[in-house]
Amino acid sequence: MSRYTYDNNDIIYALASAWGNSPIAVIRVSGDGSIKKFSELFSASETLLKAFSHTIHYGKIIDPDSKEAVDEILVAIFRDGRSYTGQESLEINCHGNIIGIEAIFKVLEKQGFRSAYPGEFTFRAFMNGKVDLTQAEAVMEIVNSQSEIAHSLALKRLEGNLFNLINEIKIKVVDALAVIELQLDYEEDEIIDETHFPKEAIEGALKRVESLLDTYTIGRLYSEGCRVVLAGSTNTGKSTLFNLLLKEERSIVSEIHGTTRDYIEAKTHLEGIPISLYDTAGLRDSKDSIEQEGIRRTRGLIKESDLVLLVVDSSIDGYKLSPEEQILAKEEKTIVVCNKTDLGNVAVLEGSYPLSAKTAEGFKTLKEEIVKRLQKGSPKTDGSTVVIESARQKKELNRACEALKHSLEYFKETLPLDIIAVELNEALDALGSLSGEVTSEDILENIFSNFCVGK
Amino acid sequence: MDYDAIVIGAGHAGIEASLALARLGNTTLVVTQNLDAIGRLSCNPAVGGLAKGNIVREIDALGGEMAHLIDSTMIQFRILNRRRGPAVQAPRAQADKFSYHRLAKETLEAQKNLYLFQDTVVDLLLNKEGNKVEGVITQRGHKISSKVVVMTTGTFMEGKIFIGSFVSASGRIGEPAAIGLGSSLRRIGFEVGRLKTGTPARVRKSSLNFDAMTEQPGDEVMLGFSFRDKKIERPTLSCWVTYTNEKTHKIIEDNMDTSPLYGGLIVGQGPRYCPSIEDKVVRFPDRLRHQIFVEPEGLGTEEMYLNGISTSLAEDVQEAFIHSVRGLEEAQIMRPGYAVEYDYLNPLQLYPSLETKKLANFYVSGQTNGTSGYEEAATQGLIAGINASLKLQNREPLILSRSDSYTGVLIDDLVTKGTNEPYRMFTSRAEHRLNMRHDTADLRLTPIGYDVGLKSEQDLETLKQKVEKLDVIKELLNKTKIGSKKASDVLRQPDVSIDDLIVEIPSLGEFERSLLNQSELDLKYSGYVERQNRQAQKLNKMEKIVIPSSFDYSGIVGLSTEGKQKLTAIKPHSVGQASRISGVRNSDIAILMVHLSRGKKDGGA
Ligand SMILES: Cc1cc2nc3c(=O)[nH]c(=O)nc-3n(C[C@H](O)[C@H](O)[C@H](O)COP(=O)(O)OP(=O)(O)OC[C@H]3O[C@@H](n4cnc5c(N)ncnc54)[C@H](O)[C@@H]3O)c2cc1C
Ligand SMILES: Nc1nc2c(ncn2[C@@H]2O[C@H](COP(=O)(O)OP(=O)(O)OP(=O)(O)O)[C@@H](O)[C@H]2O)c(=O)[nH]1
Ligand SMILES: [Mg+2]
Repeated sequence: MSRYTYDNNDIIYALASAWGNSPIAVIRVSGDGSIKKFSELFSASETLLKAFSHTIHYGKIIDPDSKEAVDEILVAIFRDGRSYTGQESLEINCHGNIIGIEAIFKVLEKQGFRSAYPGEFTFRAFMNGKVDLTQAEAVMEIVNSQSEIAHSLALKRLEGNLFNLINEIKIKVVDALAVIELQLDYEEDEIIDETHFPKEAIEGALKRVESLLDTYTIGRLYSEGCRVVLAGSTNTGKSTLFNLLLKEERSIVSEIHGTTRDYIEAKTHLEGIPISLYDTAGLRDSKDSIEQEGIRRTRGLIKESDLVLLVVDSSIDGYKLSPEEQILAKEEKTIVVCNKTDLGNVAVLEGSYPLSAKTAEGFKTLKEEIVKRLQKGSPKTDGSTVVIESARQKKELNRACEALKHSLEYFKETLPLDIIAVELNEALDALGSLSGEVTSEDILENIFSNFCVGK
Repeated sequence: MDYDAIVIGAGHAGIEASLALARLGNTTLVVTQNLDAIGRLSCNPAVGGLAKGNIVREIDALGGEMAHLIDSTMIQFRILNRRRGPAVQAPRAQADKFSYHRLAKETLEAQKNLYLFQDTVVDLLLNKEGNKVEGVITQRGHKISSKVVVMTTGTFMEGKIFIGSFVSASGRIGEPAAIGLGSSLRRIGFEVGRLKTGTPARVRKSSLNFDAMTEQPGDEVMLGFSFRDKKIERPTLSCWVTYTNEKTHKIIEDNMDTSPLYGGLIVGQGPRYCPSIEDKVVRFPDRLRHQIFVEPEGLGTEEMYLNGISTSLAEDVQEAFIHSVRGLEEAQIMRPGYAVEYDYLNPLQLYPSLETKKLANFYVSGQTNGTSGYEEAATQGLIAGINASLKLQNREPLILSRSDSYTGVLIDDLVTKGTNEPYRMFTSRAEHRLNMRHDTADLRLTPIGYDVGLKSEQDLETLKQKVEKLDVIKELLNKTKIGSKKASDVLRQPDVSIDDLIVEIPSLGEFERSLLNQSELDLKYSGYVERQNRQAQKLNKMEKIVIPSSFDYSGIVGLSTEGKQKLTAIKPHSVGQASRISGVRNSDIAILMVHLSRGKKDGGA
């Protein structure tokens, strides 16, 4: 039953700013007790608990399990009755990158908050007398038409392979559940058909859900793109490589060390992946305060990037990586590029990619490696390009995945079938929310058509 | 007014409806075609089974009669599905058909306020505006007035039975159909459809060879259905199992042309979960044999019921294929199998109270609403009777929820989704089934039965004592340690049963078996039960937001077109029901809630 229940006691959250990378994102939270619940995740929890309405507080949001800081944030709090919804509310201002926002959502879910349904903030506002009926109607009308559009869009997008794939998995689970429900709905001695536990069917479904989940990163990669940062010491050829990747002269190239003093951002595509490419100020000890600031920004960019190209001048005799470069080189998201191979006398570091940014020798191999790295952890399933792309799809598939795993565990522990059925129903509910609800009628239909039962 | 209430028909629905009405203090007349057929078990001689057994116990918990009737007339008792799913296990009993009917009739006769009259209702009396029922007109010309009418016509309204090419206007073999009422309802404007079901042949016990069959005895202890009847001591008879074979199937295949179904005589839809033998042979050609349960129809009768081979093939074909079965070679057929087709009312025309939307004070229950089965009929009869009475007292109707009973699921399904085949209850229809075990029906429903007026102080007291004992057991399991672990944690393990604990905690032995089992299941399922409870609580909030039946959807801005159509047609009783109508969107529900609370707001602050 994937129906909403409009329950005003739940604490709900939603992203108020646009979904995508932006400098600042705003997450709204509403519900009685939300300040107290949120304070348990907040580094300055005491301050928050004591604070007056309409005040803003700085602190870190902490993952309750790992106790690690997820992000630095500003929180505005609104006490009873004095917010948009008329309920106790919060507004979280956080860094606007998608990975960060998702991490915060995860922490909120752990704390029992749920993501709001379309129009739910307005719905609450109306219920608490904060907006009048016409305002509420207007919003609902928009939600309704939007959900229609979104629905048809989603269906259109799903129509292709993903929809079919989820449907196929769903049918497998329905088949499995039917075998179990049959045994719960008919007497033992009334069934003469084989009723082995449908372990293979469930395992098969689980496998497919898992590999679909693996495509999430890649799906997001194509829809949202990623950040690639060029970094390294001065004069190694970062700007030259930047221009080569962009196929235009965007960044100034010169033999003077420290030419690039602040970062330059440009958009490009590699094999269809949208990329934000950053040329940065070379890393070195500098007395120049402007350059120092540039280097500080370089470090910030490296932190937020999906991939770093660490460019090294391999024509320098006896070249050694600086300590900072050594740490960077070891990170998983780093590719070491040994540039200027055309100058001969090159000592290519182990595991690095030789390149001449001048002659483009080695460029093709490097490009391939970049694409491969970005797609890492997300093998294209079977050549067909079925990928999941939204956080919602991922959430539902995760739910299905967990439930299927439970059902197999319970079978191993010899728990009774009526409990196992709960998990399979949960899996179906999750899959159904992506590709059409499964009703108890559908299960019965399956039983009647596959098994000969009934006295 | 001649009576407060009139009940049409004294089948399983009519019995419960009339008893409830009379017990709640209303002068009630039951008009039924034949007093010798009150509570007749038309088909299989058994009551209960998976989900159905739960329903019988729900009826009992609310203050109905069915559990008493079967407890006093059973000739075999079994708890089904002990192994597969303790939470969905259920009781089933074989009934002595004659005693069952006899006891039902005696019970009605003994009931104060209840009057019995043999006749057939052919039409309804309406008020001037034609929107309210005021009584009935019978075949013999009686006009009898009443404030409310409950219709329970079963398989009799324009009933037709079929055996090969033989067709007769009957509701059961040997009993005439009730002709006229169906046309009257159509004239009044009800949507009336046709459904079909069937029954197998009855054969003579002394002509059967039981050595060639497998015996199926009942449980040693007859636990019974009612929460009140303590000990049941009744004679117990066995059932027997045999199988069809390829020869049987060949005979059926070769003579399919004698079937009224395959010949197109029958238009009504039959139940897929309970196909006739000819259906099974056609749809599952790979199957080399089908099971037949040979069940006694009672103590003082030779008739045996051939469960599993319901048929409407020609009589000579029936005889031939029955004789091809091991153990039945010499079987004497006493009554042939047949199919019956009858009028039913599309239940979307009902409120969850089982009152029709078109005619005020007119309630419908039982097979007439598109269900099949004694238990399904009986529980609807009870609810219709209760609600008709509540209406006479100007009280709110009783609407059970999907999370507190199978009865709630049954009625909600009927009035929200409708049905176009005979609807039978299955546990899988109930999303909260782990919370709806048969042994907890009293906990769930007896307080409601008391509130309605069918359960006494005494019943409530008995329930209170039971709850207290359960608490004591729970406490005991939580406090006692076995080794380093709490007893309750030990019991949570799948391979440990409460019997294993009695050795360690002897004081457990002082409690009744049923209470120990109940505590064990409560504990083992607690995680899941809590999960379902949480879901149920949320849903119940929406169930509690009532939509007035006069509510006008046409003027509401923002509703989707389909949502508006469906809501207008079905007139859901609550926001909860509205949310289950297919085609109604979540945003429709939101806007509906906005509008419903507007009325309140304008009046209040
Ligand atoms: C041939 C056959 C096969 C069946 N097969 C199955 C099956 O496979 N599985 C299953 O679960 N159930 C089966 N049943 C159904 C089961 O018998 C019914 O579900 C159950 O009896 C319904 O109860 P009821 O009270 O609604 O109607 P009934 O038991 O049919 O009782 C209706 C009563 O109302 C009386 N009546 C009807 N119309 C009028 C009128 N106008 N005026 C006065 N009195 C009237 C009738 O005489 C009858 O006594 C079968 C029934 C038949 C006849
Ligand atoms: N021979 C040769 N020269 C190169 C190559 N790549 C870059 N250069 C030269 O090296 C010098 C530095 O290049 P840049 O691209 O400006 O280097 P940078 O890393 O951006 O330097 P900063 O911005 O100062 O940090 C320029 O004179 C380039 O022409 C190469 O592959 N081969
Ligand atoms: Mg540069």
